[in-house]
Amino acid sequence: MHRLELLRRTPFRLALSFALLFVLAFVLSGLVIYQLMRSDLSQRLDEAARENFSVMAATYGDGDLEDLVATVDSHAQLTSPKEQLFSLADADGRHLAGNFVAGNPPDGLSVIREGRAGLPEGISYRVYSGKVGGNRLTVALSYAQTEALESLILMGFGWASTLVALLAVAGGAWLASRVQRRLDAVAATLGDVSQGRLHARIPLMGSGDDVDDVSMQVNRALERLQSLVEGMRQVTNDIAHDLKTPLNRLQIILEAADNKAAAGESVSGELLEATTEIIQINETFAALLRIAQIEAGARKARFADVDLDAVVETICEIYDDVAEDQGMSLAVKKTLQGPGGFIHGDSELLTQMFANLVENALRHCPGGTNVELSVRRDGDRIVATVSDNGPGIPPEEHEKVFRRLYRLDKSRSTPGSGLGLSLVRTIADLHGATVMLANRNPGLVVSVDFPASGPAEA
Amino acid sequence: MRILLIEDDRRTVDYIMRGFTESGHVCDVLADGRDALFAVTRDRYDVIVADRMIPGLDGLSTVKAMRAAGVQTPVLFLTAIGGIDDRVEGLDAGGDDYLVKPFAFSELLARVNALGRRPPAQEQRSVLRVADLEIDLFRRLVTRQGQRIELQPREFKLLEVLMRSEGRVVTRTMLLEQVWSFNFDPKTSVVETHISRLRAKIDKPFERQLLHTVRNIGYSLHAPT
Repeated sequence: MHRLELLRRTPFRLALSFALLFVLAFVLSGLVIYQLMRSDLSQRLDEAARENFSVMAATYGDGDLEDLVATVDSHAQLTSPKEQLFSLADADGRHLAGNFVAGNPPDGLSVIREGRAGLPEGISYRVYSGKVGGNRLTVALSYAQTEALESLILMGFGWASTLVALLAVAGGAWLASRVQRRLDAVAATLGDVSQGRLHARIPLMGSGDDVDDVSMQVNRALERLQSLVEGMRQVTNDIAHDLKTPLNRLQIILEAADNKAAAGESVSGELLEATTEIIQINETFAALLRIAQIEAGARKARFADVDLDAVVETICEIYDDVAEDQGMSLAVKKTLQGPGGFIHGDSELLTQMFANLVENALRHCPGGTNVELSVRRDGDRIVATVSDNGPGIPPEEHEKVFRRLYRLDKSRSTPGSGLGLSLVRTIADLHGATVMLANRNPGLVVSVDFPASGPAEA
Repeated sequence: MRILLIEDDRRTVDYIMRGFTESGHVCDVLADGRDALFAVTRDRYDVIVADRMIPGLDGLSTVKAMRAAGVQTPVLFLTAIGGIDDRVEGLDAGGDDYLVKPFAFSELLARVNALGRRPPAQEQRSVLRVADLEIDLFRRLVTRQGQRIELQPREFKLLEVLMRSEGRVVTRTMLLEQVWSFNFDPKTSVVETHISRLRAKIDKPFERQLLHTVRNIGYSLHAPT
């Protein structure tokens, strides 16, 4: 990655800004501490100067100048002029004792700047001066120690700042690169997806942090996208496959009609045949589109509480006579009766679902078959079944019949698009329900297992 | 009837125009939504047939604007967009009926007829009469030649729909929508079965037949001519 490019990355910019802020805060607080220490040190120096002065002045307590001179001289001899200076002069300014000539400093505290003649070079002094009897006693303490201490603090602080800055920047860069790597992984995955590799997923760290969270959401969206696209691909294939046959038939019919017309014969039979084919094609189209639309999930927005009992009763009432005309019987065997049979769903789709199931039974069973509908409660599930005592479906075909356009060999001769059961499954999926087939020897039970929308009631 | 067709596909226009003219209707055609909006505020039409995808202003917005302008003419949407939600959207926008392409002309004609002569809501009568057949919607009684006829609730609803459209063809799809609330086409003979039950009760015992099958299209209830 280009260096400037790196600077534009959010994690790096964040890390860098935080590092700078941190260093700035450290330097500021260091300065405050330094200032506090400096003022404390100078205060101590002032006190020391004042104390030295008073100790010496005390020796003059009884007016003995000799003692004072001796004390000043002994102090002056015992200490280096680089550290302390002492001076005693009489009222006329004559030097009496000490290791330097103070001149005429003001009473109290003052300062001797470095570079005064006769004093060690490069050293400033804190001075305390005052009258003792008629004489002027001056005590000066070197700043050298405090300055050494100060520069030590400053240096230590400087090193610490450098270290902190290095750590902050390096640590920030390290953290940023970790986050950056994960963002890069997200970007790479999405890049893959936009290239058409829909199976690509963002690798998860498993830490459950926010990047993982976002990644998980993106993965879920990709999952859905993939299944939709695959569904679409499936539909397109199905359409292509299933429409080719009737379109081919249509072409044959029209060619035959053309030949007949050329020979001056009537083509009304061919036209009727062609119309029938076209109706069939349209129906297949409509059913496929309907499935695709339901799968898109837009209808979920209109879900409401639906009484499954009522849906089943209505279906029975509508198809009762149809069954009777085909020499079969249709009955509701058992319902829940009461508010316990409510599910969250779309009553129009549910009606179509049960209509499809009942029609399947009516179309594929011989006369004399009994078809029964039932709704029962199973814990927090509501199970609706459509069962018959017809020929059933071989167990190995149970899963296949839900596929789009799949038809059992024997049912190829009966009309139907082969989409009825896939529509049933699509509607069930939308409602969070599962559809199961079971043989009951003889016959077939189709159960649809819904999550109930409310608690069971007596 | 005077019908306004808002449609931009030339072939469809020719097909529908010919059909309407042959059935004795007057049909104007506009291909642009804005022109149509102007036309309906100026001229009186009995029914408007609108495609949803037209240039200028799309069909849905045209009808919305029409309704906003106070035009009450019944509208039938004619469109290739046939999803359930699109249907609802169309009806919400102020459409009165919805027909999905591809369609049979007979279906369109039946629906346009039904819309054009749909009685205003305040003229709801509680007793409908066709020849000697009478249906009391309030007391839910059916009589023919004064004899009581017992009908199942679904048969009653079926008869009511047919009687409201007296003399006009009601298509199988229209019956499925209005009687059974089915917006899908059942693969079994639900309609046929109930029609034959109804016929057995209201027609069979009597001399003159009122319920007629219109082949490949639907059914019509009217006095014998």
